[in-house]
Amino acid sequence: MGLKQIELTVNDFSHPFLVESDETLLFTLRNRLYLTGTKEGCNQGTCGSCTVLLDGKPVLSCMTPTLRCVEKKVITIEGISSGENLHPVQKYLVKNGGLQCGFCTPGVVMTAVPFLEENPDASRREIKEGLSGNLCRCTGYKKIIDALENAAAEMRS
Amino acid sequence: MDYYHTPSTVDEALTIAGKLSGNYTFFAGGTDIQNYRKQQLDTNEYVIDLSEIEELDSITIVDGALHLGAMTTLDKIVSSDEIQNHYPIIAEAAKTVATPVLRKTATIGGNLLVTNRCTFYNQSQEWRDGVGSCLRDVGDICQVTGGKNDCYSRNVSDTATALIVLGAEITLMTPNGIIQKSLKDIYLPCGIKFHDLEERCILTQISVPIEPKKWWYKKLRLRKTLDFTSLTVAATIDTAGIARVCLNGVSMSPILIEKPLKELTLEGLISIARKNCKTVDNDLMPLKYRREMINVYLKEWWKSFR
Repeated sequence: MGLKQIELTVNDFSHPFLVESDETLLFTLRNRLYLTGTKEGCNQGTCGSCTVLLDGKPVLSCMTPTLRCVEKKVITIEGISSGENLHPVQKYLVKNGGLQCGFCTPGVVMTAVPFLEENPDASRREIKEGLSGNLCRCTGYKKIIDALENAAAEMRS
Repeated sequence: MDYYHTPSTVDEALTIAGKLSGNYTFFAGGTDIQNYRKQQLDTNEYVIDLSEIEELDSITIVDGALHLGAMTTLDKIVSSDEIQNHYPIIAEAAKTVATPVLRKTATIGGNLLVTNRCTFYNQSQEWRDGVGSCLRDVGDICQVTGGKNDCYSRNVSDTATALIVLGAEITLMTPNGIIQKSLKDIYLPCGIKFHDLEERCILTQISVPIEPKKWWYKKLRLRKTLDFTSLTVAATIDTAGIARVCLNGVSMSPILIEKPLKELTLEGLISIARKNCKTVDNDLMPLKYRREMINVYLKEWWKSFR
């Protein structure tokens, strides 16, 4: 298989590097760019912890070959806030206590941001459905959904 | 030779495949096959990623028939007004596949050609080695039945169940030209070779001729999201009064029962379904429960239009 030289745009910065031909985007982000905010949970597309945005679309980085991401824009949890200002989704997750251990939180944020942008008037039920691919072992989900409802309200205003 | 190929046309993909002597895997969305590669169940050296082929990403209705490009994502199908209005059973089936995020990558073509599953096969290499492997892998007996000849891995395509009752036809591109066949004909009742496809071909389009009068669809699974099916039942009754019922997730291939409604009884239907489904204990749900749920779902469908 061997190494291949590519250029990857992550959080608006372009990075040239060598990658294994069969490696996943998750591996590249965590082990080559040290962007460890993206979490490795199940590593089989089940938990949603590794969600990132690929050209604005949420994808599971553990299922995405890095070579599929060349010439596309990757946004990770490290690139979702504007400097010191948290994104409303992040802000309300903190405010509403929508996290405990925090392992699933990057995945929740990266799923919720495009979902709420696409569905600004989403009902509580729709938010639950949109987040149904993100597993959380701590919160019992209620506070996450509360936070996303509040974030949606702020994003609408 | 590069390991990872991203052709932009079907012809280019077939040409690349021709140079790789069968040692390749096609990626559609790649959301399922990636696991097979991680678990060493797919050991082909080369990957041909079809995601850059834009000509296969389309939803059109021409002369009353729906045409779906094979690389159309399930998310697009779920949110398409045309499909929701004219073929709601397809939207409903697509909506039950995986999770909302996975559906943004997973494609209809990939879901139709999803690999059969079994609790003794879809496991890590260590797990499989620990139980002695199975007939479909490198072992010599089926771990579920103890048999030496048959593999009972289950077909788990939800969209196939809905499209078969709609009488869908598919278009396959091969180096020798285009092949059109009925979707139900590509599924073989075998747990090891479960698709009747040419060695080098690409599913390009799915065409659906019938707009059914009445439809019904239900999927049984442990959680209401993510999980593969334990039993899927789809049914339609067309304007000529022909009932088409398809069961999936309980046998090596989808089971289609097609009869005029006036000749059909609930008892007869259950009897045919139970006889044709080769259901074995290879799912997370218990065998007895899944078998019983066949009766429950068929009764539910029967009541829904009476």
